[in-house]
Amino acid sequence: MKEGRDSFRVLGDVVILYAENYINDIEGEKLEDMCEAFLKKGAKKILIDFSGTDLINSIGVSILIGLIEKVRDCKAVVFFSGLKKVNYDIIDLVGITRHIQVFNSEDEALKEFEEPGSDLLV
Amino acid sequence: MALNMMNPRQAKEETVGTELSLERLVFHLNTLAELGDEVTSPREFSRVVKASLFMVMGTFSASKGVIFSYDGEKRLFSPVASKGLPEMGQTGGAGGGGVELKLNDAALKEALKCTAPVDLAGEEPIVRMLGPGKETLDRLSARLVVFLVTKDELLGLIAINEKFSGEDYSDYDMRLLSVMAQQISYSLHSQTLLTRLISKYNENRELYKNLSRVYYDTIHAFATAIDAKDAYTKGHSHRVSSYCAVLAGEMGWNEGDVEGIRIAGLLHDIGKIAVDKSIINKASPLTSMECRELNSHPVVGYEILSKIKFPWKGIPLMTRNHHEKVDGSGYPDRLERAEIPLGARVMALVDAFDAMTTDRPYRPRLTFREAMEEVKRNYDRQFDPDVVRPFIKVIRKEINGESEHPSIVPFLQEHLENAEVARILEDFPR
Repeated sequence: MKEGRDSFRVLGDVVILYAENYINDIEGEKLEDMCEAFLKKGAKKILIDFSGTDLINSIGVSILIGLIEKVRDCKAVVFFSGLKKVNYDIIDLVGITRHIQVFNSEDEALKEFEEPGSDLLV
Repeated sequence: MALNMMNPRQAKEETVGTELSLERLVFHLNTLAELGDEVTSPREFSRVVKASLFMVMGTFSASKGVIFSYDGEKRLFSPVASKGLPEMGQTGGAGGGGVELKLNDAALKEALKCTAPVDLAGEEPIVRMLGPGKETLDRLSARLVVFLVTKDELLGLIAINEKFSGEDYSDYDMRLLSVMAQQISYSLHSQTLLTRLISKYNENRELYKNLSRVYYDTIHAFATAIDAKDAYTKGHSHRVSSYCAVLAGEMGWNEGDVEGIRIAGLLHDIGKIAVDKSIINKASPLTSMECRELNSHPVVGYEILSKIKFPWKGIPLMTRNHHEKVDGSGYPDRLERAEIPLGARVMALVDAFDAMTTDRPYRPRLTFREAMEEVKRNYDRQFDPDVVRPFIKVIRKEINGESEHPSIVPFLQEHLENAEVARILEDFPR
């Protein structure tokens, strides 16, 4: 999460979660917990924005997989956006990109959410 | 359009395929380095083991995983970290519930030989040996199990499910998991050693407590025996011990030294064992020979106690010099001021104070006012001012109810009013 920015934003029916600067520690579970909290409130469209994230490591991957599983369990949809190349390469390497859609920016992802049928399950 | 949807899926296969790309290698090397840092870090064990599990799961994109620790005595595997398994309790939480795993003897024996991960979908002999344990692992959706073994000791196991990516586990994955498991074994081994050490420490501490209890009981029995020689001095050694300890505490002594003077107080009159009972209890003035015999008790006590190796320092000398006076007129060594061990100066005051405030064969007890007048009269002559001042402080605190465990005032056989005590103490030299 960029300094001074909120950790989440709700835009219509989309919940945007801003990931921390580093998702390389079990503290990163906060992101998973926050996502779970919104899912419990009934959120069906989740966007995780990584534009403020410099590093995702294996712990981060594990957290993101846990998050995707929770989204699936709640029959919701999650998009990722703003991933730096190095981070995209990592989530691609471990196969996460096979399961969710990744966008260059938050705006692109939000536009996609507006498209009919975007709430298809991941 | 989504980045990962711009190209046909086949294109992605190149990246996520089983071949060992440079990116994959770098990712794994980084993970191994981070795992090494984690398992050797001084962080809390539960945190280390949880982070280690996350690293394993992230490396192989597993969505469910658990690390069990093995208790050789109970012959039971208990979860110490898990993720993605609600049946284990809090996701990623450490132990404290969840599914436990029991393996039969044959499987346990085989596990010690298993240096590589076991594919539960495979045909390895150990899979058949797991028995009901296999059902438990199936319930946890486990696909791979790797036993954590160090120096022929089974410490636990890691179980993870199928890859989230949908790929199968490759030989390379198996080798990598084996290396990661070895690193995690070190952490588990250190924790096992620490647990054993703590258990041993607690056992020894209990033993030490029991020994100390016997030690104290013996010393208290000695003190009672010493005081029993004189009908008038019943409880004297215990009171001197208690007064010494509270005064030393007020003077800022450390816990060990306070304990030392408490013991010295109990034993300070041990030399009286060698003095004839008729002399100790004589109501009339003593002859010079009787006086010499009675006054020999500090030296006799010193000789007895200096043969004992106490865990506290200074006990024999405190005993020897508790009748010295700061002006050099005491006995047996006629020491002056700082020549007299501080503990002996403390003891000299409280010993005299207790003698004054209790009945003796040759006179009734003095009142608190009379005793304090006597202390004042002998201030800087018999008694060390540096000891008298804190002694007065202790009395004031006890009278004012500021002391949690009053040790002196309750033994005085008179009711003291605050105002009266204040008057008695107010003109004491400060």
